[in-house]
Amino acid sequence: MPIIDVHAHVGRWQFHLTAGDADANLRQMDRYGIDHQLVSASEAVVYDAVAGNAALYKALATRPRLHGYAVVNPNRIDESAADLRRCLDTGRFVGVKIHTHYPGRLPGSPEMAAAFDLVAEAGVPLLLHTWGSEVTLLPELVEARPGLRVIVGHAGGDAWREAARAAAACDRLYLEHCRTATDAGRIAYARETGVPVERILFGTDSTLIDPCVSLGVIRDAHFAPDELERVLWRNAAELFGLKV
Amino acid sequence: MPPREGPQAAPLPATPTGTAPSATASARPVGAYPWLEPTSEEYVGWDVDVLYGPWPRHDRDTGLAEVRAHLAASPVAGALALSTRGVLYDDAGGNAETVRDLADCPELRPVGTVDLRDALTAEARLDELGAAGVRFLRLFTVDQGAEPDFPGYRRVVRLAVERGMALLHDGDPRRFGPPLTGCGADVVFLDLHAYLLADFLLLARDEPGFRATTRMLSAPDSIERVVESVGSRHLVFGSRTPFMDLSPQTLKLRYARIPADDRAAIATRNVEELLA
Repeated sequence: MPIIDVHAHVGRWQFHLTAGDADANLRQMDRYGIDHQLVSASEAVVYDAVAGNAALYKALATRPRLHGYAVVNPNRIDESAADLRRCLDTGRFVGVKIHTHYPGRLPGSPEMAAAFDLVAEAGVPLLLHTWGSEVTLLPELVEARPGLRVIVGHAGGDAWREAARAAAACDRLYLEHCRTATDAGRIAYARETGVPVERILFGTDSTLIDPCVSLGVIRDAHFAPDELERVLWRNAAELFGLKV
Repeated sequence: MPPREGPQAAPLPATPTGTAPSATASARPVGAYPWLEPTSEEYVGWDVDVLYGPWPRHDRDTGLAEVRAHLAASPVAGALALSTRGVLYDDAGGNAETVRDLADCPELRPVGTVDLRDALTAEARLDELGAAGVRFLRLFTVDQGAEPDFPGYRRVVRLAVERGMALLHDGDPRRFGPPLTGCGADVVFLDLHAYLLADFLLLARDEPGFRATTRMLSAPDSIERVVESVGSRHLVFGSRTPFMDLSPQTLKLRYARIPADDRAAIATRNVEELLA
């Protein structure tokens, strides 16, 4: 069975760790048996979205196992709109990544609303960084935009209960649980709350976090074999239209 | 010695550094997910971060029997544990409960605590722990709202260090580390995040007694950087069972690119030194 990692990054981080270049992603993927990885550029996330997306495209050109997220900066919506069109036209970007911490905008802000509009119009999935009670706003924001599908990145972080309830209330929200602090019971809680296994995805936050952390979370979730297949690759393949 | 003998850790296969990564995904037999099953490289002699009992903010509570069963089904052979009663409600009662409960648990060693909000009673608490042979004092600065410059916190730390107790310390090592330097303290930082690693390494260079758990050292080379920079003696295993998933922690140990002897030191030997 293959594995698709829907939450990863290419590029350096500003901490005492080795992230490497796109080949470092591939080496990690080989190590853990991850076949495909959906990546955004760390440069685009923390610094310059347009420049980071452009640099990522060059890395994707020769690495078919990597698939790009174009980073949209809610504070540069017109610039990001034009850049998103360019990225999607390459055929190597399959979704959008929006962070909240680095641009300093949360769901509920007018800037984020405009960014959601942009992604909905583009018709590709959105990987949204979530870390806090703002996840409670997502069902309403998504329902107001037909066709918008949002991966709740980190499953809300500390607010994983709220994220689970949000995903249970909206069938276009998907949970992805990568995180350093692997609180016990997050996946069980989501399922008990009503999130179907078809909307749980596998993500790692590589190369910021070693993939074995998220693999351990999957191991401790004790999925049945058919559920494991869904979480590790089938759900992602269907969401992004990837041929595996 | 750990309470039960585990398999001998074998060295990891060499990482193919310098080899070209695969341009296309490699075919694997159906169901071939090696990480789904624990291996000998995940064996842990001592987990320093285990609790049991009620925790009101959590959805459910986990009692001692369930924690023991959870550990028994894992690669973790032994643990330093304490009742949550002493953390949240009654330090004297909680310490007594921990000592009493764990007397019949050969795989568990008791950890004591002192409520930092009432440090005037710290001396009595520490005397009680010493009389019970408790070697480890766990501090809950986050849950009890203590800061490094609070008089109560400083008194508790001074008394514990004077008694030769090893501190199991929560919170940010960048804030709590500096006041603990220069006094020969044995300290295990339980909340060292990969983002804070550079500052911890600067502290550890001058403090042989400073250690950290691997729990939140989640970056691809966090553990390796500690081993290469200051040595494996500065790391121990701590899972925060039952509040955290255990497999991510043992898998980190398994996949760390370190010699088998360093892995054994982190998983077992460093804590045995503190227990001695």
